[in-house]
Amino acid sequence: MIVLDQVSKSYGSKAIIHGISFDVKQGEIVGFLGPNGAGKTTVMRMIAGFTEASTGKVSVCGFDMATQRDQAAPNIGYLPESPPLYDVLDVTTYLRFVARAKHVPANKIAEQLDRVIQACHLEAVTQKECYKLSKGYRQRVGLAQALLGEPEVLLLDEPTAGLDPGQIQETREVIRNFGSKHAVLISTHILPEVTLICQRVAIINGGRLLAVDSPSGLQQRAEQSNSVLLDATGDQNSIEQSLRGVDGVSGLSVRPHPVRHGVVSIECLVQDMDGIESRIARAVMAAGELYRLERRQPTLENVFLGYVGHAGGAVVTDLQQEAA
Amino acid sequence: MNHLDGVRAIYIKEMLGYFRSPIAYFVIAVFLLGTGYFFTYNIFLTGIGTMDSTLQNMGILLLIISPVLTMRLFSAEYNARTMELLMTLPLQTWQVVLGKYLGAVSIFLLMTAATWINLVPLYLFGTPQTLNIIAGYLGFILLGMTCIAIGQFFSALTENQIVAALITIPVLLGFWFVGHLQSLQSSLLLRDLVAHLSFALHFADFIRGLLRSEGIAFFFAVIACALTLNTGYLQLRR
Repeated sequence: MIVLDQVSKSYGSKAIIHGISFDVKQGEIVGFLGPNGAGKTTVMRMIAGFTEASTGKVSVCGFDMATQRDQAAPNIGYLPESPPLYDVLDVTTYLRFVARAKHVPANKIAEQLDRVIQACHLEAVTQKECYKLSKGYRQRVGLAQALLGEPEVLLLDEPTAGLDPGQIQETREVIRNFGSKHAVLISTHILPEVTLICQRVAIINGGRLLAVDSPSGLQQRAEQSNSVLLDATGDQNSIEQSLRGVDGVSGLSVRPHPVRHGVVSIECLVQDMDGIESRIARAVMAAGELYRLERRQPTLENVFLGYVGHAGGAVVTDLQQEAA
Repeated sequence: MNHLDGVRAIYIKEMLGYFRSPIAYFVIAVFLLGTGYFFTYNIFLTGIGTMDSTLQNMGILLLIISPVLTMRLFSAEYNARTMELLMTLPLQTWQVVLGKYLGAVSIFLLMTAATWINLVPLYLFGTPQTLNIIAGYLGFILLGMTCIAIGQFFSALTENQIVAALITIPVLLGFWFVGHLQSLQSSLLLRDLVAHLSFALHFADFIRGLLRSEGIAFFFAVIACALTLNTGYLQLRR
């Protein structure tokens, strides 16, 4: 339903997006993850037809957005990062305007309005002017307008921003229901949201697509470079020396334990998880005493931070780099 | 799917927007106050029983008032981030431009119609020339439609409404007063050119009761140019 093929975007000589390719199929919800300024909104705008790709091809429902935008546009429901509301209009009038602009037949407008108002739980504010709405309601009215016209593709830029936990759950339910039959692309910062509702995740940073996989697939990939945490006593240099000799340990981060005097906390970056814990334990016990050892489970957050290049806390010495 | 459906959707939204905010009321009130003052001055203080001077004054007033009406047309959309909605809805750019233009023109026609109240005392106490008044009002409407098209184009160029108005006013005043440069030109070609570009000279013909095709074509040509530039600019922004 959505296909991006080597899509790039430049403003003047400055390249913002570099050759991105991915797709979203019918009945699929894809999460679009990236830090601020990564290029998520630019990509969403190109798919929505607000801006055109400099090179490459964006297709929605088989229509090229560069040459067939008019045919593609009726199939797209788009919620921009900032809900596009007209403050002086009340919610019903605003939604009726969007329905008209989406060419919903006059005899079906009332029915569609009822449907989206119910789906987005807007019953209490239908007669309120948009400027009087709370941030959460503004977001939901924005989502309601995107759902009007029964689009095949839904593009949601931060759909749950500003919502309270109850509203977040309701909104996710709306998206999940919609995504079961249509194609949905969600740009978000909220990682649990991706795990909860998305079948696949696309990670973008600096305008480059770093990975596209299922949340569990990304976690599995990350396990190959996972870490083991341990607390030990004894001579720090000997313990470090002993650990460096363990096959599969690729990096060490050593620091004093924050509470226990004389105890050091060590994070070992490991490449191979098969039996690595016992090998590490034996190495530590050969040089000191082991208090605690645990394997750090990779979270999507670790995966994300790993991809976008944050160290995530401790400074890690990369043994391979040192050796090089 | 009818192309006019998109224009209609934008037009209705614009009209609702005008009347649910103070802008339309404010612009109409200021315009009517100004027109009322000029009418009273011209008719009762000078004792001349025609609309000629009043229409002339209304034309100059329009150059200042119309940018207030048009400055928000696109600037406000940029500011409210609603431009992203308009440009991603299944609407063509020209439909957005035309819908907005017709909305602003409707408000202008409404305030023009409100000035017809001035004709009541004119007909009660004088013997005005009806054809001159009709031609004068036709010229005024064409002038207003032209000012709105120009103002709308400049509104599309900036996110700042004040800047949009501050660019539009001197441009409109330039088109109005360019006719005065005629006397400074020795070249016949340049004299003709500035005469053709002058809002004031074309409008003066209408006030005198002359419905010249040249004047009508001029105003429609400027409107078409401004709306085309407006559409082209918005497409270029993509």
